[in-house]
Amino acid sequence: MQIAILRSARPGVLVILVVVAGLLAGCSASGATVASSWPGVAVSDTTAYVAYADAIHAVDLATGQERWRYPAEANRQVTFYAPPAITEDGQLIVGGYDHVVRRLSAEGTEVWHFDGARDRIIGGAALAGDLVLVPSADHTLYALNAESGARVWSFEAEHALWAAPLVDGDLVYIASLDHIVYALNRSDGSVIWQRDLGAAMADTPALVDGVLLVGTFGAGLQALDAATGEVVWTFQSDGWIWGSPSIADSVAFFGDVAGTLYAVDLNTHNELWRLQPDGPVAGTPSALGDLAYFTTEAGTVYARQAASGTPAWEQTLTGKLYSDPILSDDTLLVAAMQGEALLTALDSATGAIRWSFTPVR
Amino acid sequence: MWNTLILDPMVNSLLLIYDFLGDNFGVAIIVFTIIVRLITLPLTWQSQRSTLKMQELQQSKKWQDIQKKHKDDKQKLQEEQLKLYREVGFNPLSGCLPTLIQFPVIIGLYQAIIRSLAATPVQLLDLSRHFYPFLPGLASLVPLHSRFLWMDLAQPERLFLPFLPGFGIPVLTILVVITSWLSTKLMTPPSAGGQGAQMSQMMGIYMPLLLGYFAYTYASGLALYFVVSNVLQIVQSAAMGKINWRQALSFGGPRPVKKS
Repeated sequence: MQIAILRSARPGVLVILVVVAGLLAGCSASGATVASSWPGVAVSDTTAYVAYADAIHAVDLATGQERWRYPAEANRQVTFYAPPAITEDGQLIVGGYDHVVRRLSAEGTEVWHFDGARDRIIGGAALAGDLVLVPSADHTLYALNAESGARVWSFEAEHALWAAPLVDGDLVYIASLDHIVYALNRSDGSVIWQRDLGAAMADTPALVDGVLLVGTFGAGLQALDAATGEVVWTFQSDGWIWGSPSIADSVAFFGDVAGTLYAVDLNTHNELWRLQPDGPVAGTPSALGDLAYFTTEAGTVYARQAASGTPAWEQTLTGKLYSDPILSDDTLLVAAMQGEALLTALDSATGAIRWSFTPVR
Repeated sequence: MWNTLILDPMVNSLLLIYDFLGDNFGVAIIVFTIIVRLITLPLTWQSQRSTLKMQELQQSKKWQDIQKKHKDDKQKLQEEQLKLYREVGFNPLSGCLPTLIQFPVIIGLYQAIIRSLAATPVQLLDLSRHFYPFLPGLASLVPLHSRFLWMDLAQPERLFLPFLPGFGIPVLTILVVITSWLSTKLMTPPSAGGQGAQMSQMMGIYMPLLLGYFAYTYASGLALYFVVSNVLQIVQSAAMGKINWRQALSFGGPRPVKKS
């Protein structure tokens, strides 16, 4: 820094120091007041769960009322962004930025915790029989006993794991920031195959008819043979594909952060349609029946006819919509970062707002 | 405007250097800091020259006499000081403009380092907006390898030694404090006392502590930049022959000039 130079402007030195300190602190990577990721959402038959910043909120799906939150009292040392995994008995397994994985009861009390990770848990956990698989930014996929939280095995990638793994039978697929997709043996974490795609990946692959579809940062959508890892075909996008593709009727829907939504025929590998919404698309779209739903950073929720891309409805919310929109029966759940409401429930047929949930501080 | 003029060029340049140097972000930070300092050298040189001129003036007998004569009348004192500035042809603001121009560069450099490391989803998403489309290969560099020596440049630095289990030594923080303190001391000329001495003393204490706090708390890529920047500042001043080695060997505040 220009220490000596400052001395010539004596009265302003303190002001300049304060300004520089503020600018540096404000831009810091570890600023506590700035959210470092977006909400993670999961839904059961009756309850929506939102992990965001200092709490996990359990919200009644019918009314939008908060049932409980964890931790009950705000604790700035603990932050959550990973979408919780919901067990068969309605309990949650979720990792935090404090490197801890917790199992919570259906009432929001801690059942067990695992504190063996060395970095943040950014991606969601996946259930695999009696195991729960948790990716960590410390490059490791932890396989824990779902009942006790004890470590069963672990697998170390070459860089951070931000994506939830995908479990299919005896195989576990995980995409990594290290540019590699791994297929692991579910029982011991040994590598069945691995494929370097030359670009980072931050979300879970989609599996359809023996083909893994994975979005990449700069290498488009890649289709891999799930048995061997061979690249079968690729589709080049304009920008980074952050989310996963959503599959319906042999069509893959996905967006990129350059602000384009694509519908690609999985039989011909050709683009069916594309459109330019009002901002980057980071979340995984939802597709069901005739409609495909996706959200943008600008705060708009889009519903489009899956076959043609023609508009069905649009709804504008406040905040940045990076999280995956999630369908639950005829309700579309959308979580916002820096919005007036944290979670909004929309009528999936019309886009009308049913309720909004804003945490009471 | 900020992104177009400052941040985007810096991010892309930093990543190009990182790519050229074999994906070593620590070396990239060092080389990039040196390049930026070389580019801004004319500005820092002019600022230092202005600072030294000001300090020479403050040590003159005429200045001391004015201080003594009007010590109880601040308005008159200011008038006389301005008059003296005019007499010797010194513009007290001449050192400010180059300094002000450097601040965006310094802050931009810091932001470029932190944003390139992108340790969280929001930061990585933000980084994707700063790539020049005509350099598509940069996207494949993401995420950067943030390991350098024993450090993870995206995290605050601590050195853990086998014989000190559970305690990490903040080596970079210590280096930041030492180099900041040293650069302040080395470039502090004998003071005329009074407000100037107090300010120099305050700067010599608080600036190293402030930078040390940043180094201790934030990503160690920033601390590495502070150390390199401080060392370059010392080297630059040495090259200009402006280092006060005698002052550096003394502790406490700057020595006042003996009044005749």
